[in-house]
Amino acid sequence: MKWIGALLLISTTTWAGLEWSKKLDKRPKHIRQLINALQILEAEILYSQLPLKDAFKLMARQLPAPVCSFFNRLAMQLSKIDAELEVAWEDSVKELMLISSLGENDKEILLQFGRTLGQHDFTQQQKQIHLTITHLERELEDARDNQFKYSKMVKTLGFLAGLFIIILLF
Amino acid sequence: MITDASILFQIAGIGIIVALIHTILKQMGKEEIAQFATLVGFIIVLVMVINGLSDLFQQIKSVFLFQG
Repeated sequence: MKWIGALLLISTTTWAGLEWSKKLDKRPKHIRQLINALQILEAEILYSQLPLKDAFKLMARQLPAPVCSFFNRLAMQLSKIDAELEVAWEDSVKELMLISSLGENDKEILLQFGRTLGQHDFTQQQKQIHLTITHLERELEDARDNQFKYSKMVKTLGFLAGLFIIILLF
Repeated sequence: MITDASILFQIAGIGIIVALIHTILKQMGKEEIAQFATLVGFIIVLVMVINGLSDLFQQIKSVFLFQG
């Protein structure tokens, strides 16, 4: 009985450590996807001049998993009759935070970008997109730094913490 | 005469694991947290040792003062 409990405890803490390190590993990937999405959006706005709703639909088809459902949701909300872009954007960003590994900073950047979307002419909009991409690139560097530094450490620490607690309770 | 040596092994195990945690945290550049972890391990061991010592003093008292 004692051994089963010990095994359960150690597997729990190890799993928690693995989950944490997975989150650290995925954040740069998700930020890169966002940057990609913004570049596509820029192209759609400047060259094909699609309305935002159709642009979002198109992007959802081109992008991989978490960001894809973000734009899908956005397109769906915008196709309602009394849809407002800012509200829909904020709502979708909240949803995106739940399913992706993005951090608080990324959320702020996205929200700020959402407030500028659809308010300006082409050149201003392009500038806003570039600004957001620059911000995201800075976050990307940060996220990559954290990944290098902590993702291995968190894994080992989870296991060691489990071992520590078991010895304490033994 | 030591009847139960398990507490010794327990303390040794805590020492080893705390040392490992300290090394890993230090390698990753988190010196403060490493120091803190070591301090916590030390306090835990201290509490265990003090428990043992208080048992010892109770024994001595009961031997020399003829009361529990």
